[in-house]
Amino acid sequence: MRKHQFRVLYQQFLFRAVDLELLSASAQGDISKLMGQFASLLVFLSMLAGLLGLLFGGGDMPAPQRLAATWAFEFLLIATTMLVVGMFAVLSWDGMFPDRRDVLVLAPLPVHAHTLFTAKVAAVATALSLTVAALHSFAGLVWPLILVPAHSGVLGVIRSFAAYWITMLSAGGFVLCSLLCIQGSAALLPRQKFLRVSAVLQIAAFCLLLCVYFLEPMRVTPEALTASQNRQLLAWLPAYWFLGLFQALNGTPHPALTPLAWRAAGGLATAFLGAGVAFLLSYIRTLRKIIEEPDIAPGTRGGRWLPRFGTPPLTALVQFNIRSLLRSRQHRLILSFFLGLAFTIVILYVKTPLAQRKLVDTSGESPWHQVNVPLLVSSIVMMWFAVIGTRVVFAMPTELRANWIFRITSLVGVPDCLKATRRSLFLLAVAPVWMIWAGVLLWLWPWQPAAGHLIVLGLLGAILVEVCLHDFHKIPFTCSYLPGKANVYYLFFVYALLSVTFLDRAAVWERNALQDSGRFTMVLLVLSILVVSARWRPWELAQSEGVELRFEEMEPPLVLELGLYRDGTLPIEPPSA
Amino acid sequence: MEDVSFTARAGEVTGYLGPNGSGKSTTMKMITGLIEMTSGVIVFEGEPIQRDLIAYKQRMGYVPEEPHLYAHLSGLEYLWMVGQLRNLPPNPTAERIDGMLRLLSLHSDRHAPISAYSKGMRQKVLLIGALMHNPDLILLDEPFSGLDVGSGLVLRSLIQELAARGKVVLFSSHELETVERVCSHIVILHRGKIVADDSIERLRTLMELPTLERIFSQLAVEQDTRAISREIADLIRA
Repeated sequence: MRKHQFRVLYQQFLFRAVDLELLSASAQGDISKLMGQFASLLVFLSMLAGLLGLLFGGGDMPAPQRLAATWAFEFLLIATTMLVVGMFAVLSWDGMFPDRRDVLVLAPLPVHAHTLFTAKVAAVATALSLTVAALHSFAGLVWPLILVPAHSGVLGVIRSFAAYWITMLSAGGFVLCSLLCIQGSAALLPRQKFLRVSAVLQIAAFCLLLCVYFLEPMRVTPEALTASQNRQLLAWLPAYWFLGLFQALNGTPHPALTPLAWRAAGGLATAFLGAGVAFLLSYIRTLRKIIEEPDIAPGTRGGRWLPRFGTPPLTALVQFNIRSLLRSRQHRLILSFFLGLAFTIVILYVKTPLAQRKLVDTSGESPWHQVNVPLLVSSIVMMWFAVIGTRVVFAMPTELRANWIFRITSLVGVPDCLKATRRSLFLLAVAPVWMIWAGVLLWLWPWQPAAGHLIVLGLLGAILVEVCLHDFHKIPFTCSYLPGKANVYYLFFVYALLSVTFLDRAAVWERNALQDSGRFTMVLLVLSILVVSARWRPWELAQSEGVELRFEEMEPPLVLELGLYRDGTLPIEPPSA
Repeated sequence: MEDVSFTARAGEVTGYLGPNGSGKSTTMKMITGLIEMTSGVIVFEGEPIQRDLIAYKQRMGYVPEEPHLYAHLSGLEYLWMVGQLRNLPPNPTAERIDGMLRLLSLHSDRHAPISAYSKGMRQKVLLIGALMHNPDLILLDEPFSGLDVGSGLVLRSLIQELAARGKVVLFSSHELETVERVCSHIVILHRGKIVADDSIERLRTLMELPTLERIFSQLAVEQDTRAISREIADLIRA
């Protein structure tokens, strides 16, 4: 009986990571497609890492360089594993612990709390293992062969494989258990406080993971690892601990890494113990609280008021968009992901020699207090990611089945809906980024160039908004989501990275234009023309006949109709039935 | 749905009955415009509704079968949004919402998020949303679902009052006793077809049956209910 219950619950918990209600009706039940997309992304990363391993010509290198190179690759693989597992934990934040739905469905059934607990733990462990397995599906076959100690024979190969997989699973387990531990500790708070704190913790964990991954220094030479000034820093960076653990398990311990290996073992034990206790306490203490108290943080009276945004229907739509984004944790998290990436790209860019050279070029006493290219590029990148991220979030529904109210009261057509979405994008994406940069630039720079760039930034924001509105014939948060379209976002990241190089050149041009009123007027004129032309296309599409608001995302047809009815002749009128 | 044709008149409450899956809610969704029909026409005041769907929607109020609402909004925010979407003037709308919230004992919870509302409270929000623009056509799909006894009695009188003031009320419910008390005219649907369309009085006389329950059982319930209940009891004992 218990075994059967365990099996059923285990399956349910394992596939609860994704909210099915987001998906289009045509995609419902096709959860495998969405899972497949995530898995394929991980496998793709793994193939890249495996390919790097195959191309790694470490055989010809002198021993110290080879050692540093292999440590660098190991470090990168460990850090990426920790990031991916961490992201998995953050994205399935609410699925880790029992929620209201679990309790309401399972509490009346004769299911022992112990069975619930073990099923949940088993599901979490399986999800962790599958994530790590997908991420290392290729890399985990190639790299252990490269990392085998010299002259160690078949046993050495087996040991290297074991060390590799144990290290990766341990690194992932450490991140997962640490996050569970933090979330579980917060669950000890009164339920309403927990709901508030949990939302903040989720975004904080997300930002922490991204920052640590992109900003942690790579000190992987024996000299750097043993240097006294680095010791304290390395003791706080878990990816180095697991580098030490791998070396110890692989039978190639290094005096600089041995203390870090011990730290990994201690950290792992603490995280496992903490997560176990947090899980247990959540089942013992919080199950009853979940039933007794509403599953939403109570709102405060202040801050409910929002101004009018045009006609009453437009006001309704814009206010709905603002409230939905500000109150939906899932949507806020996805937007944070985009903003986090923008922040990361900005920091990475500013650290590049390309940007550093431009800072030196300004050759003043303090280059940041003069018009400089890195700040120009950073502001544009932030604007880019904020607008695109908000647009992506708008396409994901909240309470999909409640959209009937828009369908039966819809006095707004596509043009009005576009207006409302445009205003929402300006309010939620363009205005906050613009205001932050207004503060930064007016503080750092003389007011004339600062004001000049702020005008340019505003116009760029307006162009981005118009581009994002192309074919967006839906009310934000009310149309179902089709997982297949997520490919667009992967392409977007590639474009974004390529664009930084282009932006760097454009920013140099803008910096020069800011010092020449004639050129600057020309820039403004060109940007204004671009705004008008970018605005014209969505407006024209929205006005065209037969265009309706979409509430259900549809797959594109497999067969494309050309509209030819008689041997290649385009009919003036469709043929009668 | 097959050959479903009936008329709901102004000034009377039309009951729309049928077993589960007979097509009641589908008909309601067609009348609201949520589902497109493959054939046929819905006529309101002599005009097909498709001719000016927006004008028609402005004169229609709808309480759906399931209380799907935006749970992240408070009851007041949701109702304000509905008023704005219907382009209602702000001041009288605010007064109407406030008054209805008070009369339906929801005023003290108006700032709480809908996710914290009980089923009955959600039903009241739906009801206010459906009536706040003083519609001429009122579609009620299981409106008593989740309501407490007091609110149920208020709603029952309200439906009659609205019909008395010349509204068209189409009311779907499984509660035959309520339907019998509230409705003057009933339409019974079975397997997508209409099997009765008349006043309750005439049906009673024609079929020589004393109650609506008996009429409904004869027209739309094919199973021997006693035999089924005996079988269920036997099954759970086995």
